[in-house]
Amino acid sequence: MSEAMAPFRLIRPASLDEAMAALAVEGAQPCSGGTDLLVRLRKGLLEPAALVDLTGIAALRDVVCDESGMWVGAGATLATLARNPDLAAYPAVIQAIDSVAGPTHREVATLGGNLCQDPRCVYLNQSHWWRKSNQFCLKYRGDTCHVAPKGNRCRAAFSGDVAPALMVHRAQIELAGPAGARQMPLAEFYNEDGAAHTALQPGEIVVAVHLPPPGPVSEYGKVRVRGSVDYPLAGVAVACEPTPDGLRFTLAVTGTNSKPLLVDIPDPLGEDADAFFAALVKTVQKAVSPQRTTTIAPHYRRLSVAALAGRIARRLAADAP
Amino acid sequence: MTGAIGKPVPLVDGVEKVTGRARYTADLDSRDALVGRILRAPVSHGWILAVDTARAEALPGVIAVVTGQDCDMTFGVIPIAMNEYPMARDRIRYRGEPVAAVAALDAATAAQALELIEVEIEELPACYTPAQSRAPDATQLHDKKPGNLEREVHHTFGSVAEGFAEADLVCEEMFDCAEVNHAQMEPHAALAEYDPEEERLTLHSVTQVPFYVHLMLARCLGMDTSRVRVVKPFVGGGFGARTETLNFEIITALLARKVGGKVMMRLSREESFVTHRGRPATQVKLKLGLTKTGRITAVNCEVVMSGGAYAGYGLVTILYAGALLHGIYEIANVQYDGYRVYTNHPPCGAMRGHGTVDVRHAFECLLDRMARQLGLDPFAVRRANLLTAPMFTPNGLMVNSYGLDECLDKVEAASGWATRKGSLGPGRGLGLACSHYVSGAAKPVHWTGEPHAVVSMKLDFDGSVTVLTGASDIGQGSTTIVALAAAEVMSIDLGRIRVVTNDSVITPKDNGSYSSRVTFMVGNAAIGAARAMRAKLVAAAAKKLEVEPDEVECEGETFFVRGSSQSVLPFQDVAIAALAEEGTITVKGTFSTPVEAQGGKQRGGAVGSTMGFSYGAQVVEVSVDEATGQIDIERVWVALDCGFAINPLAVEGQIEGSVWMGMGQGLCEETHYIDGLPAHANLTDYRFPTIADAPPIDVHIVESIDPLGPFGAKEAGEGALSGFPPALVNAVADAMGVDVNFLPVTPDRLLEAMIKFARTQRRKETMT
Repeated sequence: MSEAMAPFRLIRPASLDEAMAALAVEGAQPCSGGTDLLVRLRKGLLEPAALVDLTGIAALRDVVCDESGMWVGAGATLATLARNPDLAAYPAVIQAIDSVAGPTHREVATLGGNLCQDPRCVYLNQSHWWRKSNQFCLKYRGDTCHVAPKGNRCRAAFSGDVAPALMVHRAQIELAGPAGARQMPLAEFYNEDGAAHTALQPGEIVVAVHLPPPGPVSEYGKVRVRGSVDYPLAGVAVACEPTPDGLRFTLAVTGTNSKPLLVDIPDPLGEDADAFFAALVKTVQKAVSPQRTTTIAPHYRRLSVAALAGRIARRLAADAP
Repeated sequence: MTGAIGKPVPLVDGVEKVTGRARYTADLDSRDALVGRILRAPVSHGWILAVDTARAEALPGVIAVVTGQDCDMTFGVIPIAMNEYPMARDRIRYRGEPVAAVAALDAATAAQALELIEVEIEELPACYTPAQSRAPDATQLHDKKPGNLEREVHHTFGSVAEGFAEADLVCEEMFDCAEVNHAQMEPHAALAEYDPEEERLTLHSVTQVPFYVHLMLARCLGMDTSRVRVVKPFVGGGFGARTETLNFEIITALLARKVGGKVMMRLSREESFVTHRGRPATQVKLKLGLTKTGRITAVNCEVVMSGGAYAGYGLVTILYAGALLHGIYEIANVQYDGYRVYTNHPPCGAMRGHGTVDVRHAFECLLDRMARQLGLDPFAVRRANLLTAPMFTPNGLMVNSYGLDECLDKVEAASGWATRKGSLGPGRGLGLACSHYVSGAAKPVHWTGEPHAVVSMKLDFDGSVTVLTGASDIGQGSTTIVALAAAEVMSIDLGRIRVVTNDSVITPKDNGSYSSRVTFMVGNAAIGAARAMRAKLVAAAAKKLEVEPDEVECEGETFFVRGSSQSVLPFQDVAIAALAEEGTITVKGTFSTPVEAQGGKQRGGAVGSTMGFSYGAQVVEVSVDEATGQIDIERVWVALDCGFAINPLAVEGQIEGSVWMGMGQGLCEETHYIDGLPAHANLTDYRFPTIADAPPIDVHIVESIDPLGPFGAKEAGEGALSGFPPALVNAVADAMGVDVNFLPVTPDRLLEAMIKFARTQRRKETMT
């Protein structure tokens, strides 16, 4: 490992208050499992003055299930959540968690870390030598997005698996920061900007995710080359629930945009199922905008994620009560 | 046989590895070593106008800086094609080429020093594909290499035109196979120590070829070979990545000499990828002629390889590609035209299945498609072309043993081919392919007249047997083979034997671990040494038993008179008696190749020549997702004729590993450059299969007992690889009706091919 990390101070707060104080310092960076952060530190993609290790805060690891739904602490590891029986009532969430990276990553990676995971790009997730040879990029130290040189924003793709699954279950995200606590729908937490993809303000962290009581059936599907390790080339979570007008579908797509994308399917499933699902596939194709952020062609990611969405939607419709 | 061989034995160094006790180069004691780091070229092609190291040298903690000006000697594995400097001197030819290097007190300082080295470059136009390199106005990468052709090969055997005239069906297709990298588990590393008083250099490195590294260190540092010592510690995989001296090995040594001390160089994963030497992107244009019964009447094959910026093994690769059209099937008429082209990418080199994989891919795919047109079963078309050993091929390759027929029988039965083919339902299919590989090159790269292999052996007062070999165990199990050969011949317990390997001051010279030479050559040399040792022991036993030596048998650590059960001497007593005669006993065994094995008389005819070929057949079962283009490998049935399985457990492991690597190249592995920058140079973007992608692999060992092989053995580590990609593509054709001519068959490419195919089918339907 010849890529030397720049020196930093490691702070290990025992409570949320201590963490808030530590994060108030200029250049402080929160850190939990570190599976995303450590690689970026090694590559010189950020040089924080201090790392604030949140894993010592017991309250962040709580998972509570009651009549109001589930409250999942941001510090809960993905492996712990995968084994949580209550979470099984949200099938897409469990499937998404199981598809993240490899088993050893999931042992340490946390829910909060996964939701904040840095958007990825083939021009960004490279060594210092590589990026320097390529005049850096818009997101870090450069002034051009090599993916879309005429544009003025970073096109790095959000590549988390869990966010879309939570979104179709209408999850809320709870944040804490210097200005106090706030809560918002998870879908509103994200921006379509690879260089600033979350609503987190300086010193602010994710505290928890709140899931309403179980309702819809759901499923998460992931397009990738290999059966493990790979980030999603694209991924889609689909939820389906009965309404008086028929089955309603909610979709969220990852890997194609700088944020996880809610795809609205306004009409319920009607008489002509084939036409409905064909239209659903077209809607997904139109909604997503994959870019040249990976070595695999954008066109493929668009087609395959839409096809996957259609297949999952059909399956859920068939299984729906 | 006395029982040491032919049964599954865990590798003798396996426990050390799985417990973490084994020390690899990067694990060696570097507490008193400086940290070495390499500055790499930011551009693909250009003149170096100036390198200013003053600011880096002035940085506190920086002990030494070296640049291209510190070494004016080229290095390379082929004596006639050494055109690479350890660090670029006047010219940069690929992004990532070393330009300078630093030795510093710590990694952070070394990294900072690299930032302070100023390199002034005048950029030149770059060529990234053979087409660009061969264009009339392309910039020439190397002097005396017009058209950027490193080597062209034109070999014709038999009457190709007549052969095609005899054919009932002639087809030609073009196949594009992407560049792949070995992606061995262990990143590159070297530890160099220079003793300024004694003027001696010691290098520990990850190499498969310590002997070649030794020669190149002496050459590039201008040192006498006697002042150089090369040690190979445990190595975490090679697959050909390390079958030639690599630039970082020489650079580390240059730094160590400059500082008069010790330097540890640990390359990152990205740097290991950039050092490359992988299998080149290869375009194969193949034309075959077949009779109605499936007999191959003629072959015309044109191969263009995108070799990267320097020669490396390139001319051998392009020769192998043509030579190994022969030696698997009976083919009288073969024309081969090969072009190895320079490009501004990292240099390619040797990789498992060196030279043959992409050509075998094209061959087995086209053969299958033509069989389909002729209404022949894939097994039948291959059986129509089997060889009869012993024989010599038209290009002069010796085939003494041949188990391909049995391999076909095994996988046909095991896969249930007869009943399952064609009845697996939609999206599911079976494919077959055959393959072969050499058991070591009959002529070495450095032709000195020495034996190909020497093994020496020592028996001492403690009754232990020490075997000394220069054979590089890189995980393939060669140390175990040497131990087993000694145990078998001397009929002693494996625990009595210690194998000492790869220290140039202790062990005999060995050419190294490449082209699957070790079991065959070093195995035979080990047998020779063990026989010499046994003769000494038998003589001592005979004297004690008061009989003639030829009346003495040895078995299970005892010596006795044949046919008598009364006079039995334990090993210890015989050893003491033998030592009483002459003290510590040292013997050696050697292996040289017979002249008739050394290939045809044509230029380059030595490449492909070998003592024996392994043969393989494999059936791959796939299911294909029509919507996403994703392929699941459901199961693999593979049979390999390895002559004789000295250690069936290791053979099985090697066959599984070959299938695995073939699966990687077939499904998902490829390099990807953006204007010469390697976008794939990490283990998330260079997608080799993970354990989650593991299919059940059903391994069958076929033993044809080669007359020259050690105990009848041939190679087992490479032959099964090249069968996988074509068996995969043939299975996809069976499943989906789509023939694809590219590797790897990634989901995006397959989906596009399926969409095109469906469109063509629809057009056909509307026309009829």
